[in-house]
Amino acid sequence: MTVRTAMVSSLCLSLALAWIIESGAADVFLEATRPDFQKIPLGVAGIQNIGGSESLEAQIGLGSRIEEVLKTDVRRSLVFSLVDLPSVGIKVSNLGTGPDPVFKQAAEHGVSVIVWGKAGIKNGDKDADVTMDGYVYDAGNDEVVGGKRYVGSPSVVRLMAHRFADELVFRYTGEPGIARTKIAYVSELGSARELFVMDYDGYELRQLTADGFLNLMPRWSPDRRFLVFTAYRNRNTQDIDMIELATGKRWTLVSSLGGLNITPALSPDGNFLAFASSHEGNSELYRLDTRTKALQRLTVNVSGDLSPSWSPSGRELAFTSDRSGGPQIFLMSADGSNVRRLTFEDDYNAAPAWSPRGNWIAYVCRTPKKEYKLCLITPDGQKRVQLTSGPGVDDSPSWSPDGRHLVFSSTAEGKSQIYMINADGKDLERITFTGTHNSAPAWSPAS
Amino acid sequence: MKCLQSAISLSLVLGMILLGMAGCSKKAIQSGGDTQSSQPGAAKGSPSFPDTSLSGRDGSGGLRGLDKNPSEERVGSGTNTLMAKADPGSAGRQMDEIRAEQSASAAAGLRDVFFAYDSFLISDEGRQALSRNAEWMKANPAAQLKVEGHCDERGTSAYNLVLGEKRAKAARNYLVELGVAANRLAVVSYGKERPFCREHAESCYAQNRRGHVVLRTSK
Repeated sequence: MTVRTAMVSSLCLSLALAWIIESGAADVFLEATRPDFQKIPLGVAGIQNIGGSESLEAQIGLGSRIEEVLKTDVRRSLVFSLVDLPSVGIKVSNLGTGPDPVFKQAAEHGVSVIVWGKAGIKNGDKDADVTMDGYVYDAGNDEVVGGKRYVGSPSVVRLMAHRFADELVFRYTGEPGIARTKIAYVSELGSARELFVMDYDGYELRQLTADGFLNLMPRWSPDRRFLVFTAYRNRNTQDIDMIELATGKRWTLVSSLGGLNITPALSPDGNFLAFASSHEGNSELYRLDTRTKALQRLTVNVSGDLSPSWSPSGRELAFTSDRSGGPQIFLMSADGSNVRRLTFEDDYNAAPAWSPRGNWIAYVCRTPKKEYKLCLITPDGQKRVQLTSGPGVDDSPSWSPDGRHLVFSSTAEGKSQIYMINADGKDLERITFTGTHNSAPAWSPAS
Repeated sequence: MKCLQSAISLSLVLGMILLGMAGCSKKAIQSGGDTQSSQPGAAKGSPSFPDTSLSGRDGSGGLRGLDKNPSEERVGSGTNTLMAKADPGSAGRQMDEIRAEQSASAAAGLRDVFFAYDSFLISDEGRQALSRNAEWMKANPAAQLKVEGHCDERGTSAYNLVLGEKRAKAARNYLVELGVAANRLAVVSYGKERPFCREHAESCYAQNRRGHVVLRTSK
């Protein structure tokens, strides 16, 4: 994985400002993922088992399980840098909530935040509720600034750690964090492809559909309650369906149109469904007003238009069109006006995904070596970066709600699996390990 | 920050009231540019579905913040963690129907059309295959065909659905040229989602770039 970055921040800033002035759009948030952003050094001083070494919690390794999830979340937040306390010479054991010499020692080593906690099982019964206490010491304030006390069934132990990680991110950034986000995706069962949802870290897989044929390309509603996707009715026609995660209840949003009905995407306010349909000939973009059910055609030409992706303000759409030959990325206003081509390099660019920060559009680019990789481009087209490299077909980039990561599918290791990568091209991690084919990941909004 | 959030939620509420009023007139929004308004009736079969509009979010994601004397917080009772289990519904019936289609198509001797990379042009061999299919259709006037468009694994899932449809339509159009009535020919695109072959090699890709001609045995 290589990243080509040519960032001269003053130049970037003036380009970004020029673009804002020119387009009048407010889709670029300059504070986001600033190059000068310094991660906050944080050390995890352990999650102890309340009952001691002979207890049930110690036998099942409860504390260390929570600690591992928490550390991974902290590292992936990209808000903190995880400091390994023993390796910088800080020995910690059984921290309480009062002052401790360890705090001063840590601060001297440049550690800004120390977190620790304890976990236990009520009544020593393996089916009983689990408790987790977490505490936070802040070197700036030089005090234990607070903590959390969670209780829940043994099945939500990972969620407790995720929730605590999100509280940490919230305290230091005012943003809710991504540790409780989910990823919807398509997984192969026999020759069928069904919708699944998992936690953002690849755990807690849940199957949502069992139609026995094809369900494709899920996208989230902004309130995380629903997924919209393409379903094949009787194998011969496509509908756009919606499923409620909590109940499994399904509705058909677009049906009986005939032809392709693909790549649905709900607007950030949830008021419009953009999608591609070929019921009037070739694939065109439409938007359905989800309140009035009025349908508006957005594109009119003899070529294929598909894959709409909303800008965070909901004022613009990025999409794929082959009106100039091979597929390329175009932008337009959400009412279909002001169409302009965004990508010009090479002859195949598709599957755009507009960052929730507004500053990048991720897409699949075909390199001169005919490899399908991920690229990023600014909405003004001024800056372009190839994010992934190497073998395999990369597809379906989708942003984390904090705009710091992407998930995508890749055949880099043979079968199609789902991977996570930072927006700067670092920390490539595979997150699906089972099954014959996992694809079309869609990262949920933050809760 | 709080003040800004209140202002945003207020304007959201006002906006929704205004949009709600506009919605009462039930007319598609007309606008300029590359756009054309279609008949609202085109959304037929779009029955009522739950409101997907985003209403009030405070940005805290349900987090309550750190507390010097934290009270017990129950984890896992929110709707976000509840998830229905999929009900294995029609999977078996689908498999039976696919098998019936496959065996009927094989018995009829229907031939598939193959395509070059990135292309939906019918080759000479493809024309020969379709000519045979057209003759079979003339001899079997009650038969209904379906042309499935397939693609190899290269390229995006989404664009391959469009390419698959172009391939299926190219095959259908040639059958129509040969005199088969268009209403006996359905097209459907499966893109790269139902591959015939799974190796990452051209010999396999060539098999997957296909207009698969199937006899319809069910609606």
